[in-house]
Amino acid sequence: MDKKMTVALAGNPNAGKTTLFNNLTGAHQHVGNWPGVTVEKKEGNLNHKGYSITVVDLPGVYSLTAYSPDEVIAMDFIVEEKPDVVVDIVDASNLERNLYLAVQILEMGVPVIIALNMMDQAESKKHLIDIPTLSHLIGAPVVPMTANRNEGTEELLAEIVKVAKGEVETRELRIEYGREVEEEIAKLEQIISPTSLALKYPPRWLAVKLLEGDKEIIGKLKEVDVE
Amino acid sequence: MNKEDILRATDASIAHLKNIYGDESETLIADARYGFISGLLKDVLKKPPVDRVTVSDKIDKVIVNRWAGIPIFMAIMYGVFQFTFTLSAPLMGLIDRGFGWLGGQVATVSPNWLGSLLADGIVGGLGSVITFVPPIFLLFIALSVLEDCGYMARAAFVMDRVMHKVGLHGRSFIPMIIGFGCNVPGIMACRTIENPKDRLTTIMINPFMSCGARLPIFILLAGAFFTQNQGLVVFSMYLIGIIVAIIMALVFRKWILPGPSGHFVMELPPYRRPTVSGVLTHMWERGRLFLIKAGTVIFGVVILIWLLSSMPWGIEYASAESWIGQIGSFLAPIFGPCGFGQWQAAVSLFFGFLAKEVVVGTMGTIFAVDEGILGGALATQLGWTPLVAYAFMVFCLLYVPCVASLGAIRGETNSWKWPVISLLYTTAIAWIAATLIYQIGSLL
Repeated sequence: MDKKMTVALAGNPNAGKTTLFNNLTGAHQHVGNWPGVTVEKKEGNLNHKGYSITVVDLPGVYSLTAYSPDEVIAMDFIVEEKPDVVVDIVDASNLERNLYLAVQILEMGVPVIIALNMMDQAESKKHLIDIPTLSHLIGAPVVPMTANRNEGTEELLAEIVKVAKGEVETRELRIEYGREVEEEIAKLEQIISPTSLALKYPPRWLAVKLLEGDKEIIGKLKEVDVE
Repeated sequence: MNKEDILRATDASIAHLKNIYGDESETLIADARYGFISGLLKDVLKKPPVDRVTVSDKIDKVIVNRWAGIPIFMAIMYGVFQFTFTLSAPLMGLIDRGFGWLGGQVATVSPNWLGSLLADGIVGGLGSVITFVPPIFLLFIALSVLEDCGYMARAAFVMDRVMHKVGLHGRSFIPMIIGFGCNVPGIMACRTIENPKDRLTTIMINPFMSCGARLPIFILLAGAFFTQNQGLVVFSMYLIGIIVAIIMALVFRKWILPGPSGHFVMELPPYRRPTVSGVLTHMWERGRLFLIKAGTVIFGVVILIWLLSSMPWGIEYASAESWIGQIGSFLAPIFGPCGFGQWQAAVSLFFGFLAKEVVVGTMGTIFAVDEGILGGALATQLGWTPLVAYAFMVFCLLYVPCVASLGAIRGETNSWKWPVISLLYTTAIAWIAATLIYQIGSLL
């Protein structure tokens, strides 16, 4: 019996998410709707090295705030369903813009793999990316790939299995928000930590979200019982 | 704790940040993330130059330039001190005259001992410290502007390369910059450094960063002995502090706390226009500590010094026969090789352990004069030369962190070992540095 695991596929629109999803799952796809909204939800399955992997394609978004239903769905899935691995697909030829989403996912403290897609375009634009340093500095594996040519899919799968087995350490990314903001984060963290919320969400992440005035998170907070 | 508390605290935090920066905290957080990304990309991405360059990129091209970055940082710090002195000199003169007049009024109060307590002790001692409110607040205004506009993050970025050489990281430079205000928050700011050895090293070198409390000593002596180059001399103190800190970081990382250093991305947040309320809030947060200390610790110490100067009964005030003279005379020989082996200097340094402003306050009480002529008194009554004054300044810069800093080190390291080590090694370094300056300077 294969071990089950869930992989969420996140990324900006046009970063090649659909192509990668097809490369991974082939014909084994199932299309439905996300509960309560008319946003298409695609899931697919594959078996790899003793794992039965469910790949969930999250809506393409630029960030994880509560501005659009797409963003809410993507964030909700990561926070509530806690997939075993989040693969964030990043357009290597447009790193700066794409990393904004990556940073937000990394801050959530979930296991993340960065799929550095469109390496061919980055190369043709003469962008040189120091992948080992990038991986080291953000604390997550980075797999270069060109999904259009189905290059890098095997390497990504190998990395997914490694993360699932706990062979790769991923860490929560800590961004230094500056002294004043850090002081406020620390204050909120202190109030959050002793409550039952801390069991469900990383306190620092929650504090940052609250300071951002994230309506979704504030709405959730109003619904749950806090002890 | 319930969720209403959390939501209330959130609103309070957002309002506080809006008051300081004039921006929604949402924007601040997004800016910091972009700052992280642009710092990250400087390390990992090389691409051919493009034509679309933002103003911020253009400024950064110069400010964080490989060669120009450090000279620019030094020029800016020098400008900060010139600004501080030029603007504060007339204000200090005014306060000084005020205390001079006050001292004359209260000296006639009877009985005699009360007049002496008021005039020599409180007005002389406390007055000589209060006089330094203008330069301290002006320095804090300048530092707040640099911090709020985004320059300090660049300074840390520029220092990153130097810090790497000594086995630390540019992020360690931020607590050091905070230490310019006061070492206590500087030491606490080390919490953001995750690697324990990096963190401990950054904590241990923080007291070398010249805090606001040392400024009165420098201004007093620079004003009296280096009239032409005040700004330069005080600037050199800050520089010596940074250099000693960096050398000691190397020593710690190499021999005492060896091991690989943690890696961080240096954030380069966008430049932003500082708001008046933000700058004033920061100035007040830092300057407040100075006023509170003046009203509590320094006030108490000044009275203690007056008492020790007046006892035993019947001796001449603050003479070598007084109790304070006896304590001072006992300690003075230690400072002989440094050039300031007089009991007055020894006792000032001894009590300066409580808070460094006390060094000036003690002298003010002993010489029973206010700041305006205190510098002159050191030259005429103790026979100090500019060389001795400089050695004394360096000693004050480097020796024992004040009690509050040691307390912070104790709290942050959760052990008594590190504050004790800090106390001993900083004093040893101060003694060696002052002795070297005095002895070599005497030969020249």
